[in-house]
Order: sequence, then C-alpha cells, then structure tokens
Amino acid sequence: MRRLVRIFDAALHVVAAALVAVLLAVVTAGIVSRGFNRPLAFTDELAGYVMVWLACFGWMIATRRGAHIRVLHFADLTPRRIRPVLDVALSSAGVLFGILVAWTAVHQVRVNSDVEAIALPIATAWLYVPLIPAGIVTALQAFADLLLAARRTQPGGSETSP
Amino acid sequence: MIGIMGKVSAVWFAAILASMPLYVSMGLAALAVLWFAGMPVTILPQKMAGAANSFPIVAAPLFILMGNILAAAKITDRIVTFASAAIGWMRGGYAHASILTSMIFAGMVGSAVADAAGSGAIEVRAMTKAGYKPETAASITAAAATIGPIIPPSLPMVIYGITADVSIGRLFMAGIIPGILMGLSLMVMVLAIADREGMAGKPFAGWRTLARSFRDCFFAIMTPVVILGGMFSGYFTPTEAAAVACLYALFLGFVVYRTLEVRQLGPILVETAETTGLVLVLVMAAAALGWCLSISRVPQTLTPLILATIGSPIAFMLIANAVMLLVGCFMEALAAMLILIPILVPAAVKYGIDPVQFGVVMVLNLILGTIHPPIGVVLFVVTRIANISFEVMSRAILPWLVPLLAVLLAISVWPPLTLWLPHLIMGR
Repeated sequence: MRRLVRIFDAALHVVAAALVAVLLAVVTAGIVSRGFNRPLAFTDELAGYVMVWLACFGWMIATRRGAHIRVLHFADLTPRRIRPVLDVALSSAGVLFGILVAWTAVHQVRVNSDVEAIALPIATAWLYVPLIPAGIVTALQAFADLLLAARRTQPGGSETSP
Repeated sequence: MIGIMGKVSAVWFAAILASMPLYVSMGLAALAVLWFAGMPVTILPQKMAGAANSFPIVAAPLFILMGNILAAAKITDRIVTFASAAIGWMRGGYAHASILTSMIFAGMVGSAVADAAGSGAIEVRAMTKAGYKPETAASITAAAATIGPIIPPSLPMVIYGITADVSIGRLFMAGIIPGILMGLSLMVMVLAIADREGMAGKPFAGWRTLARSFRDCFFAIMTPVVILGGMFSGYFTPTEAAAVACLYALFLGFVVYRTLEVRQLGPILVETAETTGLVLVLVMAAAALGWCLSISRVPQTLTPLILATIGSPIAFMLIANAVMLLVGCFMEALAAMLILIPILVPAAVKYGIDPVQFGVVMVLNLILGTIHPPIGVVLFVVTRIANISFEVMSRAILPWLVPLLAVLLAISVWPPLTLWLPHLIMGR
C-alpha cells in the first residue's frame, strides 16, 4: 500500500512539473508568434485550461503534503482531550467536500462533453476533468486523517500513523 | 437569501477558527448556500474551474516560478555584496545593507516569506557577526521582508487584481513608491537607534569594489526592469511579462551566473506547482463563495450599512485598516484578502476611494500580519534562521512595526503616494 502511495506521489509530481513547463511554453509561444506577426489564436485559451489542471494537481500535492492553509491559533488553545474529536469532525468535513467536488465535477464533465471550446478543438468538459481526481484525493486523504483521528479518540489511542 | 448566507457565514467562521483548511471551509459554505437556496450544487465546479480558467491568473504560477528559479540560482549573495558595498559604510551599515537587499530582492520575488527565506540567512549572519544582537538582526530582516509583496512583482497584488477586477499593471506601479518609503522608513529607524544599540557599519570598500559588485549583480537587478519595462512599453501583458521574467531567470541561472543545474529544475517545478495549488484552490473556493455572496446580495446590503454608519472616507479607511490589521494577525494574507475583498472593496469604491490605492493598503495591512504574533509566518522563518525563541522575536519586532505603520497611515490618507505613478505612466 505504501509503495502504491509513493508511486502515486511520484506520478503526481511528474505531471505537475510538466504542467508548469507546458504553461510557460504556451505563454511564450503566444508572445513569440505575435512577435513574428503570426499570432496563435489558441494560446490564451490553452493557457487557461492548463492553469486549471495545474491548480488541481498543485492542490493534490498540497493535500498529500498536508500543506493547505488553515488558522491553527485558536485550535491550539483547545484542551488536549477535545482536540481528537475536533480532528474527527474536520476530517469528516474534508471527506464530504472531496466527494461533493468529485461528484459535481463528474456531472459537469457529462453535460459539457459536447460543448466545444472557442479556439481549441476540444470539449469544455476538459476544464472539469482535473477536479475529479482532486476531489477524490481530498476525500481519501481526509479519510486517512479521519481514521487516525478516530484512533486517537480511543482510550490509549496512538498519536502516530501505523 | 441573505438570512441563509448569515447562518452559513456563522458556521463557516466557526469552522475557520476550528482550523478547518480554508479552502474546504469556503467550498462547504458555498455548497451549503446553494443547497439551502434550492440551487443546483453542480454550480460549484463551474465557479471553481471558471476562477482558474483565466489568462491574467496565469501570472501567479509564473511569478512563483521566477522567484523559485532565482532563489535556486543563489543570486542573493551577489545582491548582498553589492548592497553592503553601496551603503554598508553608514552608521548601522549592515542593517542598511540588509534593507537595501530586501528592496532589490523585492523586485524579483513577490512574497515576504520568499524574501526572508532567500536573503535572511546571509543578512542575519552578517549582522550578528558584526556584533548586532540576534533579535535585532532578525527583526530588521523580517521587517524588510515585508517590502517583497509591495514592490512589483507581487503575488498578493496579482490575486487582488483578479479578485477585485483591478488592473494588475496599475497595482504594480502603485506599489513602487510605498515600497521605497517602507525601505527608507526602516533606514531612518536604523539611523535613530544605531548608536544606542551599537550597530556598526564597515569601512567603505572603495569605488572599484562597488563597481565590481554592481557589475556582478547588474543582470539580476535588471529583472524588475525586464518585467515592468515590457509591461509598460506595451510589449507584454502582466502574464506575458511573468513568462519572460521566468525565461530571463533561467538565462541568469544557466548562462550568466552558471549557478543553476539541470537537476534542480524538477524540484523547482514541483515546488511551483505546490505553491500554485495552495494559492489557486483558495482562489477557486473563494470565487464560488463570492458568487454566493453576490447572489445573496450581501455586498449590496452591507455597503449601504457601512456608508450609513461611517461618515467619511478617511474614517472608513482607518476603520478598514484596523479590521485588516486584526484579521491579518490571525489569518494568512491571501486567504484574508479573498474573504475581505467582496466586503470592503465595494464599500471603498462607494466612498470614492480608488480600488488601486485600496489594494496596496490592503496588501500592506495583511503583510504586516506576517511579522506580527501570533501567526507571523515571516517571524517563524527568521526565528529559525537567527536561532532565537519566538517569544524574544515577538517582542523585538514591535518597534520595527512603527515605521511600517507610519507608511501604512501615509498611503491610507494621502492617495498620491500610491496613485501618482500609475496615473503618470498609464493615464487616469
């Protein structure tokens, strides 16, 4: 299982790095083509699509690394015995949000699959596709956190991951 | 509808305080509003993807990439050497050099944390070696790092520009004078306390050394010129300027200074993707919630209320400053900005305050939170660099907030400090 997760993380990094490089290449292509008086019509739209994909893959990396922004100041002040219960509630909310994002994104992909983009010969559904894995990763990570937090609520519960 | 929004907002704030990731709390709040208002929840991905699917926002990851490339290329050392040769001979010279380094570095990176992390170690080491107290050295470094997001390029200004629908180019221009004023005010503070604190300078190294150090970092110093020059000559949009700046940073790292290696590119790209994800998921969730706020007519309801309660634009500006400073103390700057923009910017516009001026004021307010306890991410960074306790650092930073607050007050009450330059260069 751990090996599978490591492979998944590595794949995530490769795709995300490639997306940053593609984004830079697309914007540069727009400038260069305009410089040669042969402007490419699709670069701005393509950059927007790549941006959505990059945002979602970056979101997944940040989720895996537990790096998302949160206000910890007040939660740190809560009594130690309440903290695991709070963590269970927060992780449950994360699971719910991830599932809802993935589910609603699937709906958007379905209804936009025959709507063509303006300058690109692709369906606008591609805008919503990366939200599906982003939602799934959010839900799975929150579920793993939930299991860990639930274990801590038990008497003598472990503080660390198995 | 506004009743639903009010109830959801109460739960949402409670969730934020309970340490729920901000994007999850915003996303769930948006979903709750949609659900209780009887609207399809499938609007959520539409608004989220729509927020990221914008050409101007592409500037954000590209500026992040540029900062990461320049940091990896270790260009900071050259800038520190130049700043030290240029003004290190003054009373409190090492502190002046540190501030000047941050001002130059601000033209290359768009965030205070990147500034502190990029140049902080060298600056703190140089100052403590010269006999400065570690907490004084760390405080100067932290205070100077706040110039990073004010002098362009600036990631918070890109996000503000997109969210508040304000020209990013104008915001960049508007940040230049306040950024310089911040640097100068900190230098005045150094001059004022240098004798009492025993803050030494070093002997003038000579014109030849100064010229050599300038030549060594000349191309690095040219980065903001490439960005702003391209933008304001009409060659590039802000997004394209960010792409050109990335290519320029690669050119500096691989060709000019040869301090960058190909194997470093992978981690740089992944780091960029992660930071982009952190920022963009907030923007995406905030866009969905912002849409819910607008269909609930929250800004339309709150703005007349604010106008009826607060009499003058100056009073509004001062109260808004107090609110933003308070929020900035407890919340990360970008997140706080995304929450406050839909509430404060429409009211500011109604008072006749230029949204460009308000943007710079908002960014400075929230950035000051990064050097203020209890959250203060920049404080955490320099505390680790200087190897001092957070409590000592929290006390030591307080006097250094005074000159920065003075600049904040000045740009709040006197619009030409922010608006004169964009009006001069880009017209009204």
